[in-house]
Amino acid sequence: MLWFVPLFPMLAAPGMYWLGKRLSARDSGRAVLGLMGAAVAVVTLLLASVALMGDWGGAYRWSSRIVLSVGMTPASAVFAIVVPLIATLIIAYSAYHESEPLSEGVPTRPPVRLVALLTAFVGAMELLVLAEDLVTLLIAWELVGACSWALIAHEWQEADNLRDAAWAFLVTRFGDLGLYIAAAAAFAGTGSFAFADLSQLDGWLLDVFVAGAVLAAAAKSAQIPFSPWLFAAMSGPTPVSALLHAATMVAAGIYLVIRLHAEMAAVAWFGPVAITLGLATALAGGVVAYLQRHAKKLLAASTSAQYGLMWLAVGAGFPGVALVHFVTHAFTKAALFLAAGIAERHAGSYSLNTMRLGRLLPGIAVATMVASLALAGVIPLGASWSKEEIITAAGHQASWLAVIAAIAGGLSALYATRFQLLAFGQGLHGPTKTAPSQPGHSSVEAGSLYLLSAGTLVLSLLWWPGVGNDLANLLSIQLPQTKLWELILSLLLVTLGIGAGFWAVRCEGSNQSRQSETHAAMANWFGLPALAERGIATFMRFSHGLARFDDRVVDTGLRGRGVSAAISFSHGLARFDDRAVDAGIRTSARFGVWLAKVSDRRGEGAFDGATSLLARGIDWAGQVARQVHTGQTHHYYTGIAAGFAVIFIILGIGALL
Amino acid sequence: MILTATLGLPMLGALVLAVSRRWTETTARLFAVGVSLLPVLLLAWAWLQFDTQGALFQFVEEVPWVPSLGMAYRLGVDGIALAIATMSALVFAASIAYPINTQNQPRQYYAWMLFLQSVSLGVFLALDLLLFYVFFDLSLVGMFFLIGRWGHGQAQHSAFKFFLYTFCGSLLLLLAFIGLYLSVEPHTFDMRVLIEQQPLAGAGVSAGLIFLALMLGFAIKAPIVPVHTWLPQAHVDAPGPASAVLAGVLLKMGTYGILRIPYSMMGETFARYALIIALFAVVSILYGALVAFGQGNLKRRIAYTSINHMGYTVLGIAVAGALFQDAVYAREMALIGATVEMVAHGLITGALFLICGSFWQRTEEYDLDSYGGLLRQAPLLATFAILASFASLGLPGLAGFVAEFHIFAGTFAVYPWLAVIGVLGILITAALFLQMLQKLFFGAMPQRWAKFDDLRPAEWGVLGVLSASFVIIGIAPQFLLTLIEASATLLVGAR
Repeated sequence: MLWFVPLFPMLAAPGMYWLGKRLSARDSGRAVLGLMGAAVAVVTLLLASVALMGDWGGAYRWSSRIVLSVGMTPASAVFAIVVPLIATLIIAYSAYHESEPLSEGVPTRPPVRLVALLTAFVGAMELLVLAEDLVTLLIAWELVGACSWALIAHEWQEADNLRDAAWAFLVTRFGDLGLYIAAAAAFAGTGSFAFADLSQLDGWLLDVFVAGAVLAAAAKSAQIPFSPWLFAAMSGPTPVSALLHAATMVAAGIYLVIRLHAEMAAVAWFGPVAITLGLATALAGGVVAYLQRHAKKLLAASTSAQYGLMWLAVGAGFPGVALVHFVTHAFTKAALFLAAGIAERHAGSYSLNTMRLGRLLPGIAVATMVASLALAGVIPLGASWSKEEIITAAGHQASWLAVIAAIAGGLSALYATRFQLLAFGQGLHGPTKTAPSQPGHSSVEAGSLYLLSAGTLVLSLLWWPGVGNDLANLLSIQLPQTKLWELILSLLLVTLGIGAGFWAVRCEGSNQSRQSETHAAMANWFGLPALAERGIATFMRFSHGLARFDDRVVDTGLRGRGVSAAISFSHGLARFDDRAVDAGIRTSARFGVWLAKVSDRRGEGAFDGATSLLARGIDWAGQVARQVHTGQTHHYYTGIAAGFAVIFIILGIGALL
Repeated sequence: MILTATLGLPMLGALVLAVSRRWTETTARLFAVGVSLLPVLLLAWAWLQFDTQGALFQFVEEVPWVPSLGMAYRLGVDGIALAIATMSALVFAASIAYPINTQNQPRQYYAWMLFLQSVSLGVFLALDLLLFYVFFDLSLVGMFFLIGRWGHGQAQHSAFKFFLYTFCGSLLLLLAFIGLYLSVEPHTFDMRVLIEQQPLAGAGVSAGLIFLALMLGFAIKAPIVPVHTWLPQAHVDAPGPASAVLAGVLLKMGTYGILRIPYSMMGETFARYALIIALFAVVSILYGALVAFGQGNLKRRIAYTSINHMGYTVLGIAVAGALFQDAVYAREMALIGATVEMVAHGLITGALFLICGSFWQRTEEYDLDSYGGLLRQAPLLATFAILASFASLGLPGLAGFVAEFHIFAGTFAVYPWLAVIGVLGILITAALFLQMLQKLFFGAMPQRWAKFDDLRPAEWGVLGVLSASFVIIGIAPQFLLTLIEASATLLVGAR
């Protein structure tokens, strides 16, 4: 029964595409599309809720070794509900925000393909979080990758978008290889793929399993060194980014380490590795976000950083804390991306220097501010509660970890402030009016943003005394004991970060000059993408070289073995023709004699004969070629018949021996 | 009788086409499609009748021929052969139904296709080494004429190279078959006897030589690096449907041969060299993928991915044959994977080559760089090409994943390092297919393709059937896995 939860949106997607193609190009078409898409997401949400109440499960047998199974754990229930919840709003937003990519001059149409893909994406993600075995997980894991490829490539007339989509797909698929290896290691150790049997795994196979899973999860959740793929993913439409960052693709990585924390923590190095990865990404992402001048890329770097904090919590032994932070972050980040999309529709670009739309869009600005403050970690918003819990969790390992985590929190405050002020601040320097050529936004787009911000506000309840403990009981998770000094330090750093954000924006305002090269490189993940591009260029050169090598050397070498190893292709061909002409009729006789000889030499071994065989074969086939050229194909049949006759003779000889 | 009918009907159809001189193109085509579907139905029926708890070989037919020489007309299938034969019959029916310019020789074209279908199925259904050899060689003849007469470019030269190269391989096979024949007392070509008796176990040098000859012969056919160079050229110059058959069916003869003969009949020798075979397979996986990535020609690119995929198959067989008794489940997994890969690759690459054929019929151009932005111009073609490409790069939900996952999971338990290296192949394949799709269908469309037509019903109908089959195997493979498992369990010695 639980299969319905992922299958419903996946199956609804093609149906919706088929129906949607018949929609009108006017606003009513968008309304119908938005309603259909949102309805699919809502039904998925309801199905997931019912499944949770009814304790649904499911198993589907492939073979005696592979049984696909799905089930609900507290962590998967949280994901299974948050994903369609966020997606509902994002889908409604995208029905109005995006259009079907068309050539110029054609009136825009509702984004049917995009919405269908978004719902399919939700289905794949639901499958991922409900999976109870590694095969199902891997299936969903790769499907979300493929969905995000198609979504990022939405504007397909731009070849660059396709390159970016492929880049995102390949980086995450590189991580997927880790999951292939992990699944294979689990099978080698336990003879099964079920999560339930993973506890039997030990020794080096367990190490391999954990290493593979960490690789897969780190690549998906954009931890260092995989972070740049999120920048490439920015070529996709804004709602795609919102869904990718808040609830699906990137969230898949952290989901895996939360879900399999118990198994992975069985190896001693998992904790330190997760903490190191998480902290490094949180700090580096913070710096990158601070330096970015592209609104969406700023948010993308912030996503890496926030997921870094979640990794830190998991590494410190508190996966439940990471789970709560995932939820608070999902609302915040989705709201911010939608806000960035709206800002772009007014400013005409994602460059933060051109925005400052506060006076023009006061309502949007306030709604965004709620999300920005939550991202900054300001009490009493929900995201700040989960962030403080992460710092406390880090403090359980070592005090200095808590300090570094608090610094990362300060960086969040810094870039969140900077984003808010630059995008929706009071326009001192940038333009404050929508350029007449820009389309602006619709009420549905604004409504989606308002609802997400309202969700962020509701999550402030986490600060209410007792709610945290109730939640911990409900989700059967552990929460660390808060220490006062950590809270004070962290709040101090948040204040400092906000102050620094104001200061930074003022400086940027007075200094609009172009970014220096180092600055640009650092803002682009410290030049990691450039390094990767060099690597790819080398790889492509290598494969082209190999292709040439294959054409010239391997082919010629093999062809030439009967003639001469070094001659070129055409030269060989010329001699080949000569021989074919020369060979004439007598070849068939020679062929027969040769076959007899082979049977003679049987004792000496076949390998000895192989080389000469090739030369003779050339002669014989050369004759065939000549006959084909002259059209006398019946000679060929004679040859075949003669060949068979010879075979039978050999057999006879063999039988008598 | 069911297997004889499977072979005989298309052969009969070919003869009818050859003598019926007055038939029009449409009649010939309809007749050929109808006849080519019969083996599919017969084999599907056999599939339903197959007893998964029964003996290894079922539906056995035996008619003595030259009893003193141990020769007989012997047919029979195990689950593996049945799966591959059914897939082959389907690929043939699809290729025959695919519209093509027959250059005013429709009868000849369809007759050769039916002839080739008959003898190709014979390879998979034969239970007699000699019969196997005869069918194996006759398939070369059929393909030689299809490439030479209906091909394009340097068709004659390519057909010739193809024939020469693979014929050398089959001569090696003949020698090895004779060796096998002489090694068993009383002399016989009966595969069942040879599998049961394992006559060359402990035979030292002669076993090694016969094994080498067998493996070389089949490696050329499969093909495995470095004896693969006949393949790309034959593909490029062959007509689309012939390419589909060449990749979908003829290559399988190599890997099926490895499984049926050296693997089954020389278990001990195979185990001794399993690691070396696995190494060659991994080289093929990576080399095939890398070289494919370097190709600017659509058809060559797909041709090289065949080398990559056949590498997976051989890797699976090599792992299954490695004698690690404690890893018997993993070996079974690898063998199942190898078989599913053969089926999946036949369907997927068959579809991809038919798509290539559609490109050629419209533009006579294979250069990837000359294309772009065809998504709007030809949405159906794009949809099927994207689906088949993703299937080929191993996306879950499609058949390639089921195969490759089985192979990697099985390989890891036996040769962990080879699995880790080999899995890189799926990353390179992903890169090369995404780049191919980008160059064909996305970005800006050059003006010269403004008249590019989308698929016609006959084309998308055929592609639809092939795509449906690899989607079904990707989502609900149990009907296939159960059949293969029945034989794989016996072949790895788990039951």
